[in-house]
This record gives sequence, structure tokens and C-alpha cells, in this order.
Amino acid sequence: MPRGQKSKLRAREKRRQARTETQGLEVAKASGAAAAGKSPSSVFGDRPENLPAAGTPSTPEAPEGATGATAASSGTNSAENINSPKAESTSFPKGAESSLSEILNKKVVLLVQFLLQKYQKKEPIRKAEMMKFVIKQYKSHYNEILKRASDHMELAFGVDLKEVDPTRHCYTLVNKLDLSYDSALNEYEHMPKTGILMIVLGVIFMRGNCAPEEAIWEVLNMMGVYAERKHFIYGDPKKVLTEDLVQLKYLEYRQVANSEPPRYEFLWGPRAHAETSKMKVLEFLAKVHDTVPTAFPSWYQEALRDEEERARARAAARARTAALASARSRARASTSSQAK
Amino acid sequence: MQGNTRRTGIMTDVHRRFLQLLMTHGVLEECDVKRLQKHCYKVHDCNATIEKLEDFINNINSVLESLYIEIKKGVTEDDGRPIYALVNLATTSISKMASDFAENELDLFRKALELIIDSDTGFASSTNILNLVDQLKGKKMRKKEAEHVLQKFVQSKWLIEKEGEFTLHGRAILEMDQYIRETYPDAVKVCNICRSLLIQGQSCETCGIRMHLPCVAKYFQSNSEPHCPHCNDYWPHEVPEVFDPEKERETGMSRSNKRSLRSRQH
Repeated sequence: MPRGQKSKLRAREKRRQARTETQGLEVAKASGAAAAGKSPSSVFGDRPENLPAAGTPSTPEAPEGATGATAASSGTNSAENINSPKAESTSFPKGAESSLSEILNKKVVLLVQFLLQKYQKKEPIRKAEMMKFVIKQYKSHYNEILKRASDHMELAFGVDLKEVDPTRHCYTLVNKLDLSYDSALNEYEHMPKTGILMIVLGVIFMRGNCAPEEAIWEVLNMMGVYAERKHFIYGDPKKVLTEDLVQLKYLEYRQVANSEPPRYEFLWGPRAHAETSKMKVLEFLAKVHDTVPTAFPSWYQEALRDEEERARARAAARARTAALASARSRARASTSSQAK
Repeated sequence: MQGNTRRTGIMTDVHRRFLQLLMTHGVLEECDVKRLQKHCYKVHDCNATIEKLEDFINNINSVLESLYIEIKKGVTEDDGRPIYALVNLATTSISKMASDFAENELDLFRKALELIIDSDTGFASSTNILNLVDQLKGKKMRKKEAEHVLQKFVQSKWLIEKEGEFTLHGRAILEMDQYIRETYPDAVKVCNICRSLLIQGQSCETCGIRMHLPCVAKYFQSNSEPHCPHCNDYWPHEVPEVFDPEKERETGMSRSNKRSLRSRQH
């Protein structure tokens, strides 16, 4: 009989305790980050933000709230910790001296990671956030770190850091590559998670799963995307919506019945149904409006019903494959026992 | 890591587009990666000869090296397909997921991860994961929501679901290898052949060593009487076939079909 659940839980607790005791600097740093508010990259409470614990020569800023591990962490502020066994297993260069240039190098690396996350989430970047989560006590080096990080972003990713609001020190990352070509990539299972398609699917959903073309353009115009105007990211938006995305089966575009002069409407295409869901689209919309899906009760209900449908379909498929698999393994078991 | 003679490659827009698109997808199979590479060449520079994929990626990695990011190649544990993902090397936390999920969702993932690593088979049942819903940090989550969150993990390729049980997707193994080894040093399992992290695999019933399915396939290739490499006892499990991308294209067998037919061998 395999180990019971209780003994497994006990062993797990023991391990967890052992872990928290040995994690000096990591816990102090993490609780510092936690006290400062949600760090964009610290996920698990007992893990450092980004840098491997002992490799960080910088002092943790606010060890308040640190658990009993503070006793162990008191020695970690000094440079000696860098040469501790923990440091050897990290990817930062071994025996790195805590010189200013090494620290700044690490800050640049962290800032690039931070910017990449913001870029993928399509969120604006505020100087205050960069200071709080990355720069920290090296405020006087902010400009240098920012410049080096944005140079890296440009060189490696082809993405530019542009200041959009000089008074509030707000930046955004702009793609130097023209992405309109990539909508022609048609073989991938993954659909574009962000951008114009999600917005259009959202409008269609909110309009009762069928939206007149005018409604779509109304929303897109608010974003600065116009049917007649070339867009620096989307190229020819009208073509993208009415041709490219239709060809890729993400959208359906049809004439409204008996409309004279002809008017058109959009629906979800089969691939949109397959690759995303009403719930996912609702989540995207909620994020855009800085709220949660439950803030739209009727759409949330509809999305939930859709999720249940999908779960039922998945369960049915699972039952089928399970039956197949067990039939197979029974057959195999009988042949292998013969072989023995 | 490389030695001191680091030859930094030249990044062109071809490489940059490739990198951006790979980053957007999170993880890609080798065949898709090759198609992606071809697409990037086509968009920017039709006439240039397409660099060999390995060199192309090494080129990009040499530029990313100073950022402690790299395009890492791995292999799916169930059928040995090569996959590629962009991973952070300097982080030991699961930071990539942090931007897409809420605190309680991330904690659910951590609970599932722990169950998976503790398990003997590398799978954690949906029931066992959902029973931990009350212990989650952050906003209270109901079991129904948790089911939905688990499906989100499957769709974003952090978990794989098979017959109501969950294991780690190749992407999670690539990204979190270091984190897992450091967080669960006692529970972590390692393949006897390739020495890397093992979640799913076959194990010797006598001495207990474990091997990845693709490692078993390669090691026992064309060996009619497989024996344990450690204790030499008869190897009782079915030896899978080595993954052959050419053969797959010919038979036109879809991946989901294959997976349902193969059952676990513990």
C-alpha cells in the first residue's frame, strides 16, 4: 500500500520547516518585498524575488515581518555569504565581489526581466514601480541602470522604451518590429493572446455573440485604430479583421440578412471557440478595465455556463480515453506476466 | 557556462522577431520552432540562407547570456518530443507565472507541484489537489473555481492532464528545474541515464532507479532483452519507441491519440 496521506503530509511539513530555517537571506528579502507590496516576480513566499539568495550582496531593505529565520539572516548582509555553498549553485558568477559594478549589472538584469513582464502584459511602466521593485537603494544610479536595460531590450528584443508621460514618469515599450506580418502565421495552436483579436472577440461576446461591424469600429476607434488608416502595429486593420483573421478562422464576417445597402456583422470563428473561451475573453476585458470578471454579472454567468459545458465535454472525452487505456493495459499485463 | 572566449553573436531583426514570438508562445515544439525560424527569415530577408537551428539559437543565446536568459531545449517526458522555451537563469522562483495568475492561483499551482513531486508516479489526482483548496493563500477559492484554474494551467502549458490526474508540462520542467531541485532536494527524482530532473518515467522494481521514457527508448533501442543498467535485473516495462519526427509526419498520427493509448508504467 503506498504511503498514507497523513504520513506524506507530516514529511512535507518537516521539509517545509527545514527549508524556512535554512533560508536566511531569502526569507528576509521576500518578506521585505511582501511588506513593500506585491512584487511582480516573487511568487512563492519563501523564495527571493529574482536573484538567487546568497548571490546578492545588497542589503535587504526592510526585514520586518521576517520569521524566525532572521537569526540566520543576520550574517547574510556581509560579503562572506557570497562564497557560501548556496552561491556556488546559482547562475551568477561564482565568487562575485560585491563591487558597485557587479551590483549594477545585476540591477540591469533584474530591470530587463521586469520590463519584459510588463511588455508581455501590455502594461505601462511607472518610474515609481521600477524604483520600488528593482532599483531600491541605488536610486542615484537610476538613469544609468535604465539606459543600459533599455539598450539591452532594443538590441536583443527589438523593443523600445519610450516615455509617454514626462510629468508622471510613465513609460511604455514599443515594438520596433511590424507585427502585422505575424498574423499570417497560421499553423500555431496558440492564438494571439493580446491585441486586436481579443478586443474584437470581447465586443462580439458583449453584443450577444454577434456584433455589427460599426460596433467593432466604435470600440477600436477609441484605441486609435481606424478602418481607413494605416496603423503602426496592425498595418491595415480593416484587412486584418475582415480577411486575415477570417482566413485564420478566428472570426466570421457576414452580411446582415436583407441589409440594403449591405451591412456586415462579426461572430466568433471556430478557431476562437477552440482556442479560447468566453471566460478567458471576459478576463481579458476585465483586466483592461482594471476590474474582475464578476463585475459583469450577466456576462460572467454566461461565461460560467460555457465553462461548465466545456468541462462536461472534456469529462466525456476523458472517460473515452480512460476506457481505451485500461483496455490496453489489461492486454499488456496479461502478455507481460506470460513473459515473466 | 561558456568560457572566457565569449563570441557575442550578431542579432538581426530576424533573430529579434524569432525571440519575441517564442516569448509570446511560451514553449514551442521543434517542428514549430523551425517553421517560426523560416517565417522570420521570410519576413525580413528572403534571400539569406537559413542558419542551422542550433547555430541560430546559440547565436541568440550568446547575446542573451549577459541578461541571464536563454532559449533552452528540452524533451517532453511522455513521448520524447524536443521543445524550446525562453527561461530565466538567474531566478530561482517561478516568476514567469506570476504575471498571469493571482496569488491564490499561484499557491494552488505550488500545492499541485508539491503533490506531483512527492508522488510515486509523477501525477497528482484532481481530487487530492482540490482538497487543499482551503489552505491556499490569498482570496478564498471554491473547488469549482479551482477546477477552472487547473484548466488554465493546462491551457497555458504549465500542467498536463491525463485521465483526471495532473503532471508537469515540459515547459514547467524547463523553467523550474533549478527551483524544484532547490526547494525539494529530498523528494526530487533524477533520471539514471541523463541525470536531469524526472517527474514521469519508468522505475526498476528491484533497485528503484528511474529513467525517463525517452531515455528508456534510446537506451534499450533494438535491445530485445532489456536489463536494468544499475542492478542488471530484467527490465519489466514496455520499451517505448524513439521519437522520430519523420515517421510522425508520415503516419499523420495526432499527438493526442498517441497519448491516450500509452498508459503510465509504474
